[in-house]
Amino acid sequence: MADVPGSAGSEQPGEIFAGLDVAPFGILVWSRERRLLYANERFRRSWDLPVSLGMDFEAFVATMAHASECVLPVEPDAWERQQIAAFATERSEDYLFATGSVLNLTQAPTASGGMTMSFSDVTAIKSNERALQLAKETAEATDEAKSRFLRAANHDLRQPLASLKILVYNCLREEDAEHRSDMLHAMGIATSIMEDLLGALLQIGQLDAGRVEPRITSFQLSQLFERLDVQFRHQAREKGLRLVFVPPRGTIATDRALLERILSNFVANAVRFTEVGGIVVGCRREANGLRIEVVDTGRGVREEDRERVFDEFFRAEDQRAQKSGLGLGLNIVKRLADLLELPIRLRSHVGRGSIFSVTVPLGNIWHSEANEIEISETVAGEFVGTPVILVEDDDILRHTMTQLLQRWGMEVHPAADEADAIRLIESGVSPRLIVADYNLKARMGVDVVERLRAAIGAKVPAMIVTADAEPRVIEIIRNAGLPVLVKPVSPPRLRVLMHNLLFEPSLVNVGEPAAVQPRRSLT
Amino acid sequence: MTAHNQPVPIGSMVPLTGPSAADGAEFRKGMILAVEELNARGGLFGRPIQPIFADTCRQTAEEVVSAARWLIEKHNVHAIINGYNIGPQNSEYEPIADAGIIYVHSNTLLQHHDTVMSDPARYFGCFMADPADYWYGPGFIKFISWLRDSGQWTPHSNRIAIISGSKPYSIVIANSMAKAAADFGWEVAFGPRIVQTPTHHWRDVIEEVRSTNPAVIANTHFYAVDLAHFQRQFRANPMDCIVYLQYGAMHRTFNDIAQEASDGVIVSSVIGLLRDEMGKRFEARYNARFGEGSTATIGCQSYSNMHHYAVAAAMAGGSGPPGDFEQNRKVAFALKGMIYRSVHGTIRYHPDWQAVVPYPVVTHDPSLGMPHIFYQIQDFRKSLSMIAPEPYNTERFVYPPWMSSRVSAARPVASSNPRGLVGL
Repeated sequence: MADVPGSAGSEQPGEIFAGLDVAPFGILVWSRERRLLYANERFRRSWDLPVSLGMDFEAFVATMAHASECVLPVEPDAWERQQIAAFATERSEDYLFATGSVLNLTQAPTASGGMTMSFSDVTAIKSNERALQLAKETAEATDEAKSRFLRAANHDLRQPLASLKILVYNCLREEDAEHRSDMLHAMGIATSIMEDLLGALLQIGQLDAGRVEPRITSFQLSQLFERLDVQFRHQAREKGLRLVFVPPRGTIATDRALLERILSNFVANAVRFTEVGGIVVGCRREANGLRIEVVDTGRGVREEDRERVFDEFFRAEDQRAQKSGLGLGLNIVKRLADLLELPIRLRSHVGRGSIFSVTVPLGNIWHSEANEIEISETVAGEFVGTPVILVEDDDILRHTMTQLLQRWGMEVHPAADEADAIRLIESGVSPRLIVADYNLKARMGVDVVERLRAAIGAKVPAMIVTADAEPRVIEIIRNAGLPVLVKPVSPPRLRVLMHNLLFEPSLVNVGEPAAVQPRRSLT
Repeated sequence: MTAHNQPVPIGSMVPLTGPSAADGAEFRKGMILAVEELNARGGLFGRPIQPIFADTCRQTAEEVVSAARWLIEKHNVHAIINGYNIGPQNSEYEPIADAGIIYVHSNTLLQHHDTVMSDPARYFGCFMADPADYWYGPGFIKFISWLRDSGQWTPHSNRIAIISGSKPYSIVIANSMAKAAADFGWEVAFGPRIVQTPTHHWRDVIEEVRSTNPAVIANTHFYAVDLAHFQRQFRANPMDCIVYLQYGAMHRTFNDIAQEASDGVIVSSVIGLLRDEMGKRFEARYNARFGEGSTATIGCQSYSNMHHYAVAAAMAGGSGPPGDFEQNRKVAFALKGMIYRSVHGTIRYHPDWQAVVPYPVVTHDPSLGMPHIFYQIQDFRKSLSMIAPEPYNTERFVYPPWMSSRVSAARPVASSNPRGLVGL
């Protein structure tokens, strides 16, 4: 068995020290008298600290304390005193150096009453530890965010869902077509609100994780009020409450979706906690913006609860018994308002009602976002909403023509033949224009137009389209006083003719227009 | 003459006769000035540009389509560049798309979007160098809301009345105005009512409007003479409201007929000469070339369209005659990709619409859109006052003489004019 250096006296101390010189950490050995006996090569090369054999431990500590090379846990003088007092005791501490490296200093007493110090670079180890810690915290936060998200989703999605349930129920029994159509429209909006909500809730999940970046735009508050009205009016009506939105004027600048979350939570609470009376949503100009207020005639909030209502899962005594809500709504409001830097305020009178408000900065009206940026003729074209009966027996042509006219915003009622068209009129369709094919299977288009006009009881503007360009056919149509287009119909020509029939009848040219040569001049 | 210095024929469809002949004359002048400037600098790769004008008379579909055919078939034009033609409703796109040449116009029509987007490959060369008529609607609603919210005007109510002419342009503007109103706190108390135009008789509709007591009357018909009659009949027994008249009231003819009755009227244009240094220099050149009676604010449309086209053709390595789809696609690509600051603001084509994007209603960045300019006639003997939007405005709104001033008209407006522009 080979002797281990230091355990046998047969080896030269010089060789032992030579071995220690290449150790992967710095070593200092102090005598019982606190003088430096040995500093290995690694120490000298790695740490730029002034050491010389025979120096005092006190001098070494003083240099370390005042060199400003590393971060000390206490004041330098105090640290100096601690180190001197701790000579020849067992200790291990980490120090962060100005270079960014982390040094571990471990000291231990020797049998002769002196002390050995070792200096190891633990930068990589520490960095890995920090990364692990961060990953753990992120994982925990994500987990917490997920649970929060589920709780919030449960809470917020109930509002539009409740509206939807009422609407579906009422819609099933509604006989009146117009009311039904209104309700279907409201259902459409309720589902789009749910969709937006899911998006917003995802954002709230991210909010907890600190990842939400508000998108500040200028917009009209009225657009938001309209959506809130649709979202809540059915629930309010069910409870016999008046819900009034005072039409606001003014452009505000904040994150539209997040403000909607704030206000819808205010209104939802107002509806939930008001039994008699109503809710008014309106706003007031303030020096620094617009204060949006939700005023209710509900039970009010007790003085001692007015701060706490914004806490997570807060529910007032009487609420707990009723199990109404999870107590998340106002907490979401607070977090969103903090994020958007919008002041929120609560004024309340127990038994008489509350006013929840949020103040938003004014925006630039010129930058106010319009409802639609992607415009088309279905939005504001000249034919928007114009009812037309299209009689065409060819399925493919009827389909493509319907698509074209719908693209121009028309309300198209397609019919394959005269009987179909008559049925449409009998069911209440009142067209402002009739477009008929000439060669229908059983009838001529000209006759169909006449029958339809008789059924309507008015000389509704009409036109004929024909694949038969025979002069004789054109003549027959002309003689019936109807304008005609030859297939394939050119969309611009169709457009011009429809425009003239609907808006400028004096320009309608029955028959084919004569070609006009332009007058011209050359330079 | 060798092929490399043969002229490049460029067509221009302008109403040289008929009701829009005054505008047509200016469009022609704008083309001539642009071509002269381009040719003086060497034309297109050394080839002079030759403009060929086709008269579109009353601007009906038949007349404009025939003009396009004549230019393509007889003159082999590489492009058709002009101002506007009201009436063809895009029928002229068909012969142009068949020939595969470039077409740049200022027709201000929403249906351009529909036609181009219905078949982008076919209509690759059709460009509308100004924003669609649609944008007048929301733009106007924002304008009156801005007057209201900035305290320059206190309306007695939120009611507005909308009267429309019977052309698609007027109807689309009236519809889009009505659609935007509620979002900004306005109630459409009357209309949009479509009146058969042309007409000089407005008394009946004015009386109907009176019963709704509106704070704003907007008439989206655009013939200068008809509008002048409207304004005279309105002023005979005015209401306490702002009067907005579409485009035509910018014309000299309007003031000539309406005289003092013009003062106070609001009018706007989605395309108009700016009063900055660029605009003033252009106007000086234009007047020097064609005389003081010329109207640079109309001629600038074809002028800018021609210059923009020439730069695009140069970027593409040259222009293409009818049938050279490949070369003209390159020109179209260059037109689409290039943001061009003209004397009337920025021409930036929307990638799908192939139409110019308006400022501030769509883009909030004045360097990326063509300004929708609001003017007020403050003295019918003088130039129009440009009152919005920033940063192009040079004057401020004043209460029309027929209105009661609930708010002191002298109240300073909280607005800055960073360029320090002054009115012409």
